[in-house]
Amino acid sequence: MTTSRASAELFRVRHIPDSVESRPVPLAIKEPASINPKASKAYYFWLMTPAIAVLAFISIYPFFWMIYMSLHEVDIGKVEWNNFANFTRLANDTRFIQGWWLLIQYSAMCLFLQIVIGVFIAVALNGSRYEKVLVTTLLMPMMMAPLVAGMVWYFLYNGTFGWYHWILQSVGILGPRSILASSSTAMIGIVLVDVWQWTPLITLITLAGLKRVPQDQLEANMVDGASPIRNFVSVTLPNLYPVLLIAIMLRFMDNFRFIDSVLVLTGGGPGNSTKILPVYLFEVSFKFFKLGRGAAIALTLLVVTIILGLILVKVFDRQQPKKG
Amino acid sequence: MASRGVISYETPLSKAFRWFSAVFIGFYVIWTVLPIFVMFVSSFKDLLEAFKLPAVGDWAGITVFFEFSPTFKHYYELFANLGFSTYLFNSLVAAGGSAVISVVLGSMAAYSLSRIDFRGKNDLFFWIISTRMAPVVAVMVPLYWIFRELGLVGTLPGLILAYTTFNLPFAIWILKGFFDNVPYAIEEAQMVDGATRLQAFRAILPLVAPGIGAFVVLCILFAWNDYLFAAIIGSGGAKTLPAATRELVQPQNIQWGQIMAAGVVTTLPMMFLGLVIRKYLVTGLTMGAVKE
Repeated sequence: MTTSRASAELFRVRHIPDSVESRPVPLAIKEPASINPKASKAYYFWLMTPAIAVLAFISIYPFFWMIYMSLHEVDIGKVEWNNFANFTRLANDTRFIQGWWLLIQYSAMCLFLQIVIGVFIAVALNGSRYEKVLVTTLLMPMMMAPLVAGMVWYFLYNGTFGWYHWILQSVGILGPRSILASSSTAMIGIVLVDVWQWTPLITLITLAGLKRVPQDQLEANMVDGASPIRNFVSVTLPNLYPVLLIAIMLRFMDNFRFIDSVLVLTGGGPGNSTKILPVYLFEVSFKFFKLGRGAAIALTLLVVTIILGLILVKVFDRQQPKKG
Repeated sequence: MASRGVISYETPLSKAFRWFSAVFIGFYVIWTVLPIFVMFVSSFKDLLEAFKLPAVGDWAGITVFFEFSPTFKHYYELFANLGFSTYLFNSLVAAGGSAVISVVLGSMAAYSLSRIDFRGKNDLFFWIISTRMAPVVAVMVPLYWIFRELGLVGTLPGLILAYTTFNLPFAIWILKGFFDNVPYAIEEAQMVDGATRLQAFRAILPLVAPGIGAFVVLCILFAWNDYLFAAIIGSGGAKTLPAATRELVQPQNIQWGQIMAAGVVTTLPMMFLGLVIRKYLVTGLTMGAVKE
């Protein structure tokens, strides 16, 4: 029997089980596979093998290579054991430690601004007449390649012909130097780009969460004389908490993952004021081609990501009640 | 305070909040759209026109921004002389290839994972999602070494494989959620009718097809927008649009018009695709944790 006909008749079978008997049954029917659990298990394992094999080749195999490389001096055409020198060097590497510190600062600033602005916009937009149009507009930055976003902002920040620089200068916040040119403000410059691009994601997530807030509870509270602020704090926020937690985790990991815009905007400078760890790692590995040292740094980054991932999976599990 | 009417929510405070939020949203929309708008307009400006700025504090001078005669020469230059048609092709092949591979292999694996239980399944899942979350720069260090040994650096297959490192785990993870929502009873009914397991699998595919389509698009988007892999793994023979755009920045004589035009070429298709899969966007971008 053809599959399309089968799927068309699916629902009839489900609702009126009797009709199964009245249907033509192929003569050479084997026993239904589902009654042979051992055979079916093998089948499912074979079905997932290609994906698992590919994934192993591009994740587990490189992972062991990474460990191997981190223990060696790796250069073009030469791999030499160097007695953990890559790791002992990290302990005294101020730029490595500073890189971690800057990464934490950068992520914290991005997250704080994104959550505050994103949640506010979502609460203000929720249920408004323009919600749909505005949300669609807000989506646009997220679709942009981070590199292109970095380029456009680099243009806007430019000290001689950038429009944002002109605005900041006209308002009197900045002098003639561009925001990216001095080490005290460059970090704010790169944070703003991330905030511009990814606050809409927080808004979208919050809007999805707001739809789940029990309206009757809000109304009941209002009848009892609770102020809107009280209502927001004691009903809406607790309901938003789980989705916000997911949003925070995801953004945190993305700040570790994406450095495209930072590479374009400052490349880590001026001085080392924006050399967050992934940028430093990129520089060590692919500018100076110290792949052994790079692997050691990458390993620390990976370990932290895995720990964050463990927390994330816990949060995910709590979000989705187990299905039977 | 029981006598306080339920309908009287228009207190001065709430009115102020409403006004404040309207103004804030207004500013926020401008701040969101402005960079994109500037990119579009600047891509049609001649070099000197793009550099025009009013004097500091001269707010009336903003009109300078619109004083230009539109030109298509940057777009022409990109495709006629700078080889952007090749880069566009590379982007299409690399993003499309990895998306198709990821979703085909991913849906098979996701389907199996959603149908059986075994020991260590949770560990397997954790491995899958941590592969997806791993920082690209960190992954690239060993991957670059391996790919160089295999001669994959600078080739499109290499780039496709590199993109699969984040697209395949994404596809498995998110499609599993989709298959979980298809009741097993449907396949069971099929098999009772004599369908083989593979036929039963094919029969439920139409039910998940919209989701699968949307996640193909999302995989394309992730790969298309990547710069780091393209810059290192793809350097040389497999330059994609973002990598090529980056190379337009020369130490001297930055061609802003061309850069903005390249930005438009890179961004426009993805914005369009984003609108097409709008319904699945939040689910996709939050790894399935949040549904609209």
